[in-house]
Amino acid sequence: RHPLATFFHLFFRVSAIVTYLFCDWFSNSFVACFVTILLLLSFDFWSVKNVTGRLLVGLRWWNQIDEDGKSHWVFEAKRVPTIAASTEAEARIFWLGLIICPVIWTMFFFSTLFSLKLKWLALVIAGISLQTANLYGYIHCKLGGQKAISRATSRLFGTTDIPKRQSRSISEDGTEEHGKTGTR
Amino acid sequence: FPGLADVSISQDIPVEGEITVPVGSQSPDEDYSTLDEPVKDTIMRDLKAVGKKFVHVMYPRKSSALLRDWDLWGPLVLCVSLALMLQGGSADSKDDGGPQFAEVFVIIWFGAVVITLNSKLLGGTISFFQSLCVLGYCVLPLTVAMLVCRLVLLAGAGTVSFIIRLIVVGAMFGWSTLASTAFLADSQPPNRKALVVYPIFLFYFVISWMILTFTPQ
Repeated sequence: RHPLATFFHLFFRVSAIVTYLFCDWFSNSFVACFVTILLLLSFDFWSVKNVTGRLLVGLRWWNQIDEDGKSHWVFEAKRVPTIAASTEAEARIFWLGLIICPVIWTMFFFSTLFSLKLKWLALVIAGISLQTANLYGYIHCKLGGQKAISRATSRLFGTTDIPKRQSRSISEDGTEEHGKTGTR
Repeated sequence: FPGLADVSISQDIPVEGEITVPVGSQSPDEDYSTLDEPVKDTIMRDLKAVGKKFVHVMYPRKSSALLRDWDLWGPLVLCVSLALMLQGGSADSKDDGGPQFAEVFVIIWFGAVVITLNSKLLGGTISFFQSLCVLGYCVLPLTVAMLVCRLVLLAGAGTVSFIIRLIVVGAMFGWSTLASTAFLADSQPPNRKALVVYPIFLFYFVISWMILTFTPQ
């Protein structure tokens, strides 16, 4: 259903890795490779966080600052009524891409460290942090969605002394907001 | 209060049953959150936010827009352009200012992280990423200074050009420090303001020093 989103989800990540591996073939200049890979990683971070997550699996996470200046991390999961075969394939591609790439960048980290090509270390660390941040955010969304669903079912079939507060965690527009963690 | 307890429980359960069950079966199309907006809207919204912040840096008014929706795109763009302008300019060799480029990057980001940690340890109320956002955006005047310096150096590298560069860099350094202090100092208790301003001063001083002492090969 979203072939373009699937393509872009993988395109930026894979091109960043490919450029890092074959930068010597493309250009002699360290700076050009560094800037290219950094821009690819940034575009990948933005597109996975803001676009492909919500289009492919219906999850989203962000940070918002309220009036007091306290920061909240919000994790949102859309409740999908049907699971078609195409969305399952897309979801599988999404999660595979999300998990494999940070692992590859971690391997690059160790290879850079041990081969003492330290000028690439900053880039590899940036890559690891950006991709791991997305991975962590989406895992939190996914686990949060599952936990809230099991909480809702246990509430419907469970005990009778339900505190009034809990019914507010499911918002009126069909999505679930979970996990307003405290100040960071 | 046994009588009141009976009343409240019997009124609670039907009300909660009606609220929770229909919400689950509402179609996702009535969703008014940003989960389903078209991609172009997302891009334009973020671009406008970045542009608004650049304008805020150039005319530092006391507004909470910079602090509320932080983003790190501006600092990334500024850092990359500053680092690009600060390196030698001779292409086609494997170590053409390579270490210099990564050095500028590391200095800017590591310096910003240390300042943020410092202000948080001193009891500041601002969050980690907000502070990084403000410090990064306030590098804009210094990037402009770097551009001006490179243009001045095209004309020559004598004493006059040095004096011009000194004045420009000094003015932009003052602007950067004032802009970031205007945003960051408010989040500190009043007797700690100097302790927070000093590292910011030092940070922009180091960047200004790198700009001022830049001479092309």
